[in-house]
Amino acid sequence: MVTKEQVKHLGWLSRLELSDQELDRYTAQIEEIIRYLDKLDSIPLEDIEPIYITKKFTDLRKDKAELFSSNPLGTKYRKNGFVKGPRMA
Amino acid sequence: MGDLYRLTASQITSGVRNRDFSAEEYICEILDRIEKVEPKVNAFVTVNKEQALNQARILDRWIRDGGNVGPLAGVAVSIKDNICTKGIRTTCGSNMLREYVPPYDATVVTKLQNSGAIIVGKTNLDEFAMGSTTEFSAYGPTRNPWDISRVPGGSSGGSAASVAAQECAVSLGSDTGGSVRCPASFCSIVGIKPTYGLVSRYGLVSYANSLEQISPMGRTVSDAALVLDLISGPDEKDHTTTATPAIRTTGGDIGTGADADKRGLRVGLIKELTAGADAEVSRIVYGAFDLLSSHDCSCTEVSLNAVDYALASYYTIATAEASSNLARYDNLRYGFDMDPEGYEWNTYFAKARSNFGPEAKRRIIVGSYVLSSGYYGKYYLKAQKVRALLKQELKSLYKDYDVLIAPTMPILPFKIGERVEDPLKMYLADVDTVIANLAGIPAMSVPAGFSAGFGVGVQIMADEFKEQTMLQAAQIVESGAGVNRSPDL
Repeated sequence: MVTKEQVKHLGWLSRLELSDQELDRYTAQIEEIIRYLDKLDSIPLEDIEPIYITKKFTDLRKDKAELFSSNPLGTKYRKNGFVKGPRMA
Repeated sequence: MGDLYRLTASQITSGVRNRDFSAEEYICEILDRIEKVEPKVNAFVTVNKEQALNQARILDRWIRDGGNVGPLAGVAVSIKDNICTKGIRTTCGSNMLREYVPPYDATVVTKLQNSGAIIVGKTNLDEFAMGSTTEFSAYGPTRNPWDISRVPGGSSGGSAASVAAQECAVSLGSDTGGSVRCPASFCSIVGIKPTYGLVSRYGLVSYANSLEQISPMGRTVSDAALVLDLISGPDEKDHTTTATPAIRTTGGDIGTGADADKRGLRVGLIKELTAGADAEVSRIVYGAFDLLSSHDCSCTEVSLNAVDYALASYYTIATAEASSNLARYDNLRYGFDMDPEGYEWNTYFAKARSNFGPEAKRRIIVGSYVLSSGYYGKYYLKAQKVRALLKQELKSLYKDYDVLIAPTMPILPFKIGERVEDPLKMYLADVDTVIANLAGIPAMSVPAGFSAGFGVGVQIMADEFKEQTMLQAAQIVESGAGVNRSPDL
């Protein structure tokens, strides 16, 4: 059972501001989706190894800096050459 | 002249190269066409008019001066708006990126431009490619060119509609769980999802990065194959890419070589998927099956047991990856205009991120749910095991079969608005397409017939890096089914 409180909490963990109306709507829909995903309980999987994709470090590209002109991130709010963010609590 | 916009990619390149018409004449016609049909279709978020005309003029001058041109010289392409284009806004169909102009090109974009292609615009999509109808876009829904009251499929619905409505010759979409094959089927065009690792994802905005591939779309198998060949290959900026042989792309060449030299193709029809489809869709898929039989293919019905669990596995993995990938949108980097002054850190993020649309929000929350510490073993781990099981089962089928066929979509295009409030029902329509993404194998949709005025695509899947074999089968279906129509717009 997915509750409204759970959805609200997950919304907060994901930093999503949800209105009451959204919470009601999403709780019902997410409950239905999660019930469908519960299907995964009905297949025997004890002997199966999950898929992991691994790469050797040598396969990775060289970590070299590249210069982008002007303001590559398109950040508008800046101060003294830094990107301006909201204050920490 | 007056109908240059109808030409295929290879016809355009040879026309431009031989100076039967100029790239500028052709691009002008394409832009006129876009202006005429866009009010009905809404395939584009951004039309790249000035730049496209400039590029066409530069190309014409280059040809007049005797310069060599690439295999897509002059061809109008559209690019899904989640693929980065330097200097052209890339919105992902989202309010979150309404003002984002990338400082770099995706590798595929560079490759297309080096081949002489001209980008005419960025196409509409479900926000961050999450959806099957192109209704979840902050820029309004795209409409199916065959009936504008219906959905074009998604999430690459803008790309598919732009190709079907002849607003460009070919397009690039992205396919995470069927996002290219679904709209290809609904709009009656060809869409190819390559093997995972064949095409670089550098510059593709991530939704579920272990599943997705940039995927070409065209009105013919050879057009889509031509684009696939040009964009594939290893890229040091995407370490999941692999070196692979070139793809033979032109008409007769597709069907030669590989396995077909030795014998007819061995075709398996996945019966669980055909049984689950609407009767009309089934009829057309069996029609393609018969067609392949009559072309010396040995055709058998086969079973794929893990199919029942594929969709649950897909939506677990896709939402988990989505919740992680979308965490980067804090609106300080690549955001819309919202001054952080006076806000506390968390409040600012939560407020800015409330600009995600409903489907993105739902998937972020579902993804966070399945990744919660108490539920990891119950959902995510099992989903990865189902993925392994599916892969094993497919590997063993490909020992006996060259290609597997199934419906692309189990249903015909439905009315706009019909399913937006029923996300689970929407997800269930992806049941036939998610298999290829989970297993990393190539899969494509080819128009195989019409029902009630709508194209129905048959899906052809091959083993990893066996694109050539898949294209051979597709070409048999394409030439035999003879579905070569354009919508009246």
